[in-house]
Amino acid sequence: MAKSARTVPEDWYPGTIPSNVKIDDTAYIETAYSFSRCRSQILPEAVTIGYGTSAYLGTMFDIAPTGRVNVGKYVLLNGVWIICDHEVIIGDYTLCSWNVVIMDTYQAPESSSQRRMMLQQISQRSPRNLEAMNPGKPVHIGNNVWLGFEVCILPGVHIGEGAIVGARSVVQDNVEPYTIVAGNPARRIKRLDPIEPIT
Amino acid sequence: MSDSTVPIDDSWSHDRLPPNVDIGLQTIIAGQHSFKRFYCQQEKGLTIGAHCSMNHVQFAIGQSGRVQIGNYCYFTNAVLLCELELRIGSYVIIGWNTTITDSDFHPLPPAQRILDAVACSPIGKGQARPLLQHAPVIIEDDVWIGPSVTILKGITIGAGAFIEPGSVVTHDVPPQSRVIGNPARIIGTNT
Repeated sequence: MAKSARTVPEDWYPGTIPSNVKIDDTAYIETAYSFSRCRSQILPEAVTIGYGTSAYLGTMFDIAPTGRVNVGKYVLLNGVWIICDHEVIIGDYTLCSWNVVIMDTYQAPESSSQRRMMLQQISQRSPRNLEAMNPGKPVHIGNNVWLGFEVCILPGVHIGEGAIVGARSVVQDNVEPYTIVAGNPARRIKRLDPIEPIT
Repeated sequence: MSDSTVPIDDSWSHDRLPPNVDIGLQTIIAGQHSFKRFYCQQEKGLTIGAHCSMNHVQFAIGQSGRVQIGNYCYFTNAVLLCELELRIGSYVIIGWNTTITDSDFHPLPPAQRILDAVACSPIGKGQARPLLQHAPVIIEDDVWIGPSVTILKGITIGAGAFIEPGSVVTHDVPPQSRVIGNPARIIGTNT
């Protein structure tokens, strides 16, 4: 495991993966561009990516200096935007489809006047990144979860083991283990049998 | 400040801004594809105020479209589709993968849609398309718009409104209100 900033072989993007991103040797990262918005410098392990996990083009780790992202084993990130100010945890065997947004923060204060102040400060900065203003609400996604395409997971949401979130759903409330939810905002439409035999 | 020689600030793109784009002081436009679908023929087709950050925004503006954006706006990977008018205030934040449009792009009546399909095809080259109704989209100051939001034709979003991620906005949003869903419904107020 490389300890310093490194590049991806044959990458079209000239940038590097930050040194505090810990990627298992068996994991596949398509491009270092996925880490171009990773600004976490405080923590020694800001991002961990586990055994057999893959992150394809379109996956973005948009992580503030205080953020921490933990991706488990055999996870498929097929173009997922992870917006993290505090904590995002994704369990093992979880499948995430394209244009999924997982956010633990709105990246802006609730009050308009505070947002104005933030935008004025950003315009004086280089690069003009949004920085954590409020503590984020951790998002936990369990093992064996399947997120359909263009799903949005809002701050503070916990998704239980084995659950399925239908395409284009917006998840505002916690999802129980072994259920199927869908809709915008998402609601439960079915229960799954956790011990259904493999045929 | 109108200057057609301002380069687009991005690590792997050095395209020039179209001449009918007017940007204010300390406004940054980054992204290779920002003007790929910019067909605007209006004298002031796109006007952006000062201190704005436009990261990988697509300005897909038709021949008669006009887009006006205020000061201190922060857009990331938004798609702005404009055939008539799009007016965005100051201090507006727009998240990733959000689409704003002032047109349906095709007529609703089935018979007219057949004419449109033919006119759009390689066979119908030069054939006039049926006239479409466009309606301006107005987004007032201090609006926060999350990722994956869709804002449709003719919508006005009032000052300080908060549009939750993934919402599809089909009706006007009152000032200071918080909306979510498809179609978007009011779930609270913002202070």
